[in-house]
Amino acid sequence: MAILDEPGYAGLGPRIPLRDMVPAPRLAAAVWLRNARVFSKLWRGALLPTFLDPFLYLLALGFGLGTYVAHINGIPYKEFIAPGLVASAAMWSSAFETTYNVYFRMNELRLYDNVLSTPVEVQDLVAGDLAWSAFRATIYGVVVLGVIAIFGLVSSWWALLMPPFVVLGSICFSVIGYSFTTLIPKIDLYSYFFTLFITPMFLFSGLFFPFSQLPEWVHVVAWFMPLYHLVEITRGLATGPEFWSIVSNSVWLAVVSTLLFTIPVRALRRKLVA
Amino acid sequence: MTEAVSARGLTKRFGERTAVAGIDFGVEPGICFGFLGPNGAGKTTTMKMIYGLATIDDGELTVLGMDAMRERRRIKSRLGVVPQETNLDADLTVRENLLQQARYFGIDPAKAEERAGELLEFSLLGDRGDERIHGLSGGMKRRLLISRALMGDPELVVLDEPTTGLDPQARLAVWGALDRLRRRGVTLLLTTHYMEEAERLCDRLVIMDEGRIVTDGRPADLVRGHVGREVLELKLDEGCDADRLVASLDGRIQGHDLSERTLMLYADDAEAVLEELDHAVYPTESALVRRATLEDVFLRMTGRSLRE
Repeated sequence: MAILDEPGYAGLGPRIPLRDMVPAPRLAAAVWLRNARVFSKLWRGALLPTFLDPFLYLLALGFGLGTYVAHINGIPYKEFIAPGLVASAAMWSSAFETTYNVYFRMNELRLYDNVLSTPVEVQDLVAGDLAWSAFRATIYGVVVLGVIAIFGLVSSWWALLMPPFVVLGSICFSVIGYSFTTLIPKIDLYSYFFTLFITPMFLFSGLFFPFSQLPEWVHVVAWFMPLYHLVEITRGLATGPEFWSIVSNSVWLAVVSTLLFTIPVRALRRKLVA
Repeated sequence: MTEAVSARGLTKRFGERTAVAGIDFGVEPGICFGFLGPNGAGKTTTMKMIYGLATIDDGELTVLGMDAMRERRRIKSRLGVVPQETNLDADLTVRENLLQQARYFGIDPAKAEERAGELLEFSLLGDRGDERIHGLSGGMKRRLLISRALMGDPELVVLDEPTTGLDPQARLAVWGALDRLRRRGVTLLLTTHYMEEAERLCDRLVIMDEGRIVTDGRPADLVRGHVGREVLELKLDEGCDADRLVASLDGRIQGHDLSERTLMLYADDAEAVLEELDHAVYPTESALVRRATLEDVFLRMTGRSLRE
């Protein structure tokens, strides 16, 4: 493939022993704190669109389209999509943080060269960045949860349990974005990531319509998308949970995140410790 | 006493190209050790292998008594690095840059505040702590990079071209900071292509070229050994035959170099050589007697042609 010949493409890199894969919590926390400190200076401007985003979707889809589609699975359409918007807000936040923001820190500010010349190793750096991305995404998700609750679109107190699950789902989105960032040679390639992965996932993860009327393969494809699992969880909690559904979807997110963690660690080591 | 850094057959390849071709060197603790060489000589790669940002293909490298490949984290906790590129965190203030570095070293916050205050004074940035990085001059950024490297209280500081691109005053300020460090007993390892800097700061140095060490020693000894005390720099007239001129001085000079029409003659007493020269046979436009410097050694060892 042509992109593999680009000078910035370093590839996945050699296998790394397991002990070099496990992050040191205190050093990952140091990386997390740097990002949190910078966010604490900018959050006012950064959070405003997050209030507007779900508002716009609810307006267009819930109150617009919703007048034609009254109920899905016995619940009003607005209530059907609202909890999914918590999940998708977390997805968008994770996607932006681990693509453009990480790319900027790594390649423009060149902060990672400095970080890695301290006791921090690649696995600590990746873990700290992922933890931050998930935390930030959860803030966004909680903001959206607040907005939909104000609109009266949350019918169960179980919804208060959403944040830890949003953290879990966001870690999964973030690992995927981070992997992409550590593998691409050029910033232009992000348009592929968003157009071919994030946007389709947003549209086809059961957020806007259920799969019951669609062919079986659509359901199969959706099963491979992390957003599908987080939407199942958030919708379950907002309308009254089904225990085993929440457990199985959470296990899926945790397993996939853990397995994928090796990709950015190996690729970043290859890129920065050449 | 164990050496602060020691390398045996240290080798690094990038694909086909050999960046560092099996070099040996040893750095005693507490000294300032320099790496000189033209661009692409392998200096930066050698530094990166020492501070863990480049893998080692062959040979042995011991840093502070530890194996550089296997004990990277422990080595880095006792090391400070001043990179060639200015990679300060533009989203943080001057002081926050230092405090953040302390977190990477696991230093507790109260101690970090105290050290950051001291180091801002040390680098003459005492009143700039709350400013953005953006507002600092090149020299200030460089001094802040040095302070950042010192947050972890290192025993060894690696500096990759610490004064490149600075004006003379800013360079003096950096030299001052490095002098103070060395007096505290910190081992310094630096690369530079400013000969004056190397002569002034380094106790020992190596000259690298094309991945190899071509010579090493104390700056004064290198000058004495390779070029002698003085240089007679002659600008030759068109009709002057350089080869016959050099031959006529056989035994009275230690060596010579010719570049275009400029002839360098190395001798312990260049004034005497100038007096003996038969100006009628060998016409010159100008003649200059000067003290021999490390620059003469450098150019003798690595040649006069451009390296790019």
